[in-house]
Amino acid sequence: MAGLRVLIVDDEEELVTTIAERLQIRGMSVEFATDGETALKMIDQNPPQVVVLDVMMPGMGGIEILQRMKALKLQIPVILLTGYGSTEQGQEGLKYGAFDYLMKPCDLNVLIKKINEAADVNQ
Amino acid sequence: MSNKEIEFIGKITAGVTHEINNVLASIKEISGLLEDLISMSSNESFPYKEKFMNAIPKIQEQVKRGVNLTTQLNKFSHLTDKPKADIELNEFLTHLVFLTERFARIKNIELLLIPSDERIQISTLPISLQMVVYNCVASLLYGSSAGGKIIIQSAINNENYLISIKYDGEVPDNKKLLDDMSVAEELKILEKTISELDGNIQMDTTSNSIILSFNNN
Repeated sequence: MAGLRVLIVDDEEELVTTIAERLQIRGMSVEFATDGETALKMIDQNPPQVVVLDVMMPGMGGIEILQRMKALKLQIPVILLTGYGSTEQGQEGLKYGAFDYLMKPCDLNVLIKKINEAADVNQ
Repeated sequence: MSNKEIEFIGKITAGVTHEINNVLASIKEISGLLEDLISMSSNESFPYKEKFMNAIPKIQEQVKRGVNLTTQLNKFSHLTDKPKADIELNEFLTHLVFLTERFARIKNIELLLIPSDERIQISTLPISLQMVVYNCVASLLYGSSAGGKIIIQSAINNENYLISIKYDGEVPDNKKLLDDMSVAEELKILEKTISELDGNIQMDTTSNSIILSFNNN
């Protein structure tokens, strides 16, 4: 897990910064973005090993970011975070090649386990 | 209320529960971060460490409670998505018991669901059915004394599915609960909705029971 490079994207700034800090405490190298455009630029400039995407965001949502990543032939595993009324989008995300999806609020240990699994699969 | 109005209320409620869920997710992670930071500090550098470490799980327990409530409220709001929908009756009644438990608890009455052994798939007007069953429970709550229980049972019988709601407890002054005029009037208002659901209502005043029967064709 140590040093694993993760990008988390969620428009809830308080939530995304706190998750990032908690993952950093556990040894991960975490960056975050609060919108899709910024996330895609960050992925392009410094590709992380795993991307965690909120499905429901204003403007570009997680599914669209995932589709754009696939269009750019980026093989970075993506974990989607879904909320109420968006579990169907989580399922849809799997069809577009997401590694998995988790329901918000998810347990941090579950998220860490999923991030590690995703990174292992991509090695 | 028209279908459009009901749908509107449902949409607003669903949107708000989504936002509340984000708030709860933030509280969960912030309290988790506090726990991380405090657990890394020594007792000497942080004299209230133990008190904080005891308080944080209580915050997280309340977050869990809040998430459960908003999840159920969100589910309720989605009953309004379509006027008619296919549902499983036992799951539907479990959800209803969760939503109405609070009203029973105020009178110290237990709400008990005894689901049928088999799953009962029905096609119905979910918001109308929810309202009918809720009002039957509320009528029994209204006329009862504090204490006792209300038992909700589901069953399927040929082409009909049945929901029975029975009060098992004391009735003030030994009156027949369902003979109470205001209870009877409350239930009379439901007749139109029950008829729209292709069903009927029977009351057994001796056993303080209401039986709803609906055609499942």
